[in-house]
Amino acid sequence: MIDMKPLYEAVLKGDAATARALTEQALASGMEPITVVKEFMVPAMDEVGRRFECNEYFVPELLLAARAMKAALELVRPLLVKSGVEPQGRVVVGTVRGDLHDIGKNLVAAMLEGGGFEVVDLGVNVTPEKFIEAVKAKNANIVALSALLTTTMPAMRATIEAFKAAGLRDQVKIFVGGAPITQKFADDIGADGYSENAPGAVTLAKVHAARAA
Amino acid sequence: MSPAVSIELLPLGKTLRVERGTSLQDVLFAQGVEFPCGGRGRCKGCRVKVLAGEAAVSVEDRALISSDELAAGWRLSCRASAGGDLTLELAQWEAAILADDTGFAFTPQEGLGVAVDLGTTTLAAQLLDLRTGHVLAVRTALNAQGRHGADIMSRVEFAAHRGGQATLMELIRKQIGQLILELLSTAAGRDSELREVVIVGNTVMHHLFCDVSVEPLSRHPFESADGGLKIFSAALLGWQIASAATVRFLPSLGSFVGSDILAGVLATRLHESDALVALVDLGTNGEMVVGNRERLLCASTAAGPAFEGARISMGMRAASGAISEVSVTEGQVRCRVLGNVTPRGICGSGLVDAVAAGLESRRIQPSGRLTGGGVFPLLEPVSLTQADVRELQLAKGAIAAGLRILIQQWGARLENVSRLYLAGAFGNYINRTSAQRIGLLELPPEKVISAGNTALLGAKLALFSLHENDGSLAAIRQRIHHVPLNEDPQFQEIYVDAMGFPG
Repeated sequence: MIDMKPLYEAVLKGDAATARALTEQALASGMEPITVVKEFMVPAMDEVGRRFECNEYFVPELLLAARAMKAALELVRPLLVKSGVEPQGRVVVGTVRGDLHDIGKNLVAAMLEGGGFEVVDLGVNVTPEKFIEAVKAKNANIVALSALLTTTMPAMRATIEAFKAAGLRDQVKIFVGGAPITQKFADDIGADGYSENAPGAVTLAKVHAARAA
Repeated sequence: MSPAVSIELLPLGKTLRVERGTSLQDVLFAQGVEFPCGGRGRCKGCRVKVLAGEAAVSVEDRALISSDELAAGWRLSCRASAGGDLTLELAQWEAAILADDTGFAFTPQEGLGVAVDLGTTTLAAQLLDLRTGHVLAVRTALNAQGRHGADIMSRVEFAAHRGGQATLMELIRKQIGQLILELLSTAAGRDSELREVVIVGNTVMHHLFCDVSVEPLSRHPFESADGGLKIFSAALLGWQIASAATVRFLPSLGSFVGSDILAGVLATRLHESDALVALVDLGTNGEMVVGNRERLLCASTAAGPAFEGARISMGMRAASGAISEVSVTEGQVRCRVLGNVTPRGICGSGLVDAVAAGLESRRIQPSGRLTGGGVFPLLEPVSLTQADVRELQLAKGAIAAGLRILIQQWGARLENVSRLYLAGAFGNYINRTSAQRIGLLELPPEKVISAGNTALLGAKLALFSLHENDGSLAAIRQRIHHVPLNEDPQFQEIYVDAMGFPG
């Protein structure tokens, strides 16, 4: 068995080239794809999240780690699909209608992927209809909404209302986030969860996945 | 009628008599206290310490203020009222507002003129003798719309509610009219000579004054319906002025780049420069212009309020008790405190210095990580936290990334920029060496020029060129192209890169 500790380190340091090369080696040596993900990648991203929470890591480190994770995942994902391994959950992510800010949303998407979720990123200025379409098409069970402006926060409420009107509200958990959002606002508009930062969003999704299992 | 109660305000040393039950927000706003969230109990910018008397603890107090601070008497003033006599200590100090006293070239004309810099937070107005070019009087004030939100987006949000836009329009028209009357009252006997008023401000201020809907500025694609030059008669604005004065609000350059920046271009003569030059306003909505006589590009970037001391754990405005300068000599941290009193916090210039000092003494790594525990002590009881450094990284990264992209899109390199003008109050206080050290301005200090209140200077220049004004201003405006930064495919990459500090 080859030593895979360096893969954990490579993701943590955000070294995409090394992470990819080590993953290739591991798979070539016959290691199960799911083992590579569960034993090394996910723990590395958990550690990235922990370091971010305690302010040791910041946006640049988070983005680099997510990139390294993505480089490694690209090799593993097709194998997982082939062997019929289901993701932890399917998440539709997007910045709500009227808003163009996407760095926070991109971080959440990358961290969720790193956490073993399948992510459908709809981009920015996403209408309620597009969120609903994507949930139907991908059979997603989580929706993550982002807004960075006080003036676009009402679009979150509108999106949740649209899910109700479409009769899909009970099929999905809706999480919200972004600089002006608070737990109180999330409660007021009937969202299922709120997180202050990207690692927190992964925790929310995991708690939900564990409950649903 | 309710009986009156006394409110003593420290450190102003002022005692006010108000009706029992009056909200503290109303009382304090009139004294210049700001309400960053519009008095909705969402931030704690308006907090006061109750030194004597009783103020009930509100739900919002419990949510935002620690139990220790509550016990010490801290309350959100926007949630409190005067139930009895009170002695209060204000967390904010009255702000110093920058007026302009730079000399300028002009063509003599008859009569008087008024130039107004209408800022989101502050207003500055000058009365000029158009024949001599002398400034006869100056008035500054806090924008009366401030009680309905501190930043432009919260004003836009307020305007969206029933009657909000009309309320904000009436407030500002009335306030500027009043300011002009005060200015004229100082020029005894000449008050019928006022001919021209020129107002500059950001696009939201333009719309709120000119009665153009701000609704399109609230969401994508953020395209203003009408940011053009607006001309009013003083009578139409309801101003009781003895003469038939014409009031011009100069045109905006883009949705978030207003006529204050156009005035800044006039004042610094960017549009006449042979060499490549830049103009930067380090505010919440960091605006910038890059170019020369041939072509100018402008942009705005969401830097946030860190340079104004907001969202910094011990941040405050540049006022008495603020650490305004920090340096390190032989590993020893030295601080300068405004007013030479016990330090209470740190202002924007102190923050930039402190981080530069931290980098020099290796207390802060290039990644922004604080070494040796999460706190960088400056001068008891003021220190910098890890989260403070992170806030500054976001703000300075936004400015640096914006400049990099504009210069790149103009087709040049950073080193080709021969001069960079810093507009606004902060530009006067910031240490240019520290600004380069932290990577906020990636230019050597000798290329950076503090240009003062370029908005007011530009408004004055416009007063003197009104006969050719409409034409020439339009021509300059045509040469300035607005660049939406977030549409640049490299924006995220460049922004994240600019968050780090030079090694």
